[in-house]
Amino acid sequence: MTRVTTTWTTHETTSAALGALAAEGATGALSGERGIVYLAAGRVVHVESAFTPDLGALLTRSGAVAADGWWDAVDRGGRQARVGHRLVDSGRLAAGALEVCHLGALFDAAYFVLAHDTRAHRFRPGAVHWLGAVRSVPVDVVVRECGRRRALLDRIWPDPDIDTVPLTRVPDAGAAALPVRRGRTLTQVDGVRTASQIASALACRTYHTLVELRRLAADGLVTAAPPAPASVAPGPSPRDVVWDDPDTALLRRLRDALEAL
Amino acid sequence: MANLETSLKECLSSIDGAKAAALVDYTSGMALGTLGGTKDFNLEVAAAGNTDVVRSKLRTMEHLGLKEEIEDILITLNTQYHMIRLLKGRGGNGLFLYLVLDASRANLAMARHQLRRIETELEV
Repeated sequence: MTRVTTTWTTHETTSAALGALAAEGATGALSGERGIVYLAAGRVVHVESAFTPDLGALLTRSGAVAADGWWDAVDRGGRQARVGHRLVDSGRLAAGALEVCHLGALFDAAYFVLAHDTRAHRFRPGAVHWLGAVRSVPVDVVVRECGRRRALLDRIWPDPDIDTVPLTRVPDAGAAALPVRRGRTLTQVDGVRTASQIASALACRTYHTLVELRRLAADGLVTAAPPAPASVAPGPSPRDVVWDDPDTALLRRLRDALEAL
Repeated sequence: MANLETSLKECLSSIDGAKAAALVDYTSGMALGTLGGTKDFNLEVAAAGNTDVVRSKLRTMEHLGLKEEIEDILITLNTQYHMIRLLKGRGGNGLFLYLVLDASRANLAMARHQLRRIETELEV
């Protein structure tokens, strides 16, 4: 399963490279500009993207799992790549709830990896994700679902910039009687944050936030913020992040642990 | 403590007349799990279509100013019942269970009751 494969490099897009790896039954991690797709025996087992909250953030910020419990499972199960099993075995989370949240996070990250379907950077054969096996999905299902999601967003409001740039409220636009989720999303729009930062603040999957944001844009309540002067740019924009280091999961855990100190 | 697959299996085995079941995310219209679909009855298409039903009803309730929540939606066809049950709970926000029943064999009251029980066992 871990033999070195090179046919994926001939493909121009991440989705085509994934198709080639799936056909070979490959196991490993494919990194691209916006995230990493983990494969096991040719099926997608996990996807990570800097644009979407990871499973830990979704579970702990929503209150489904206490932060201590999550980190305990990561500590004890991380090295054997059995964090998911740990959560269920220790009774912190029902198996069904883990699967539902995992699939939600997987498709959420996959949308960003495949929405910007550029050439994949690197494939690490044999790499496994520390979460461990939860559920797997065929590559073609993931690719098809991402296409469907993109079409759904474009039907609501055909401006893909809303997904990635800082957003601002339209002045003097009446925001009366919004549904709860959309109203909550609107309160987070401050002229600085992007959709993924808003999703993170709400502990909500990014795609679901995008749906609300595009509806707000269609209603004329939200628009892309004017670009900030370059001199006060607060660090690199997510667009410029290059995912050539495949161990971002470890880095992210490290960062979260440091922040928790 | 059931997982997704066993919960869907239980829908089909323990509910009289049940022919197909799916767990659907109604923001994206994606089926997170399906069981019992055939080539004549594509559950993924059904999931996406019924998402529109749920959204439309939620929107109507907003327009009417109703502050209630939908427990379930029943659609009666000539020979089938289609039941949609919205999931509550922390992780279940935005999900529904979709069940196709054979009208000649199903007991609607029992089906609703059992669907509620399976939902609590899924614990989402």
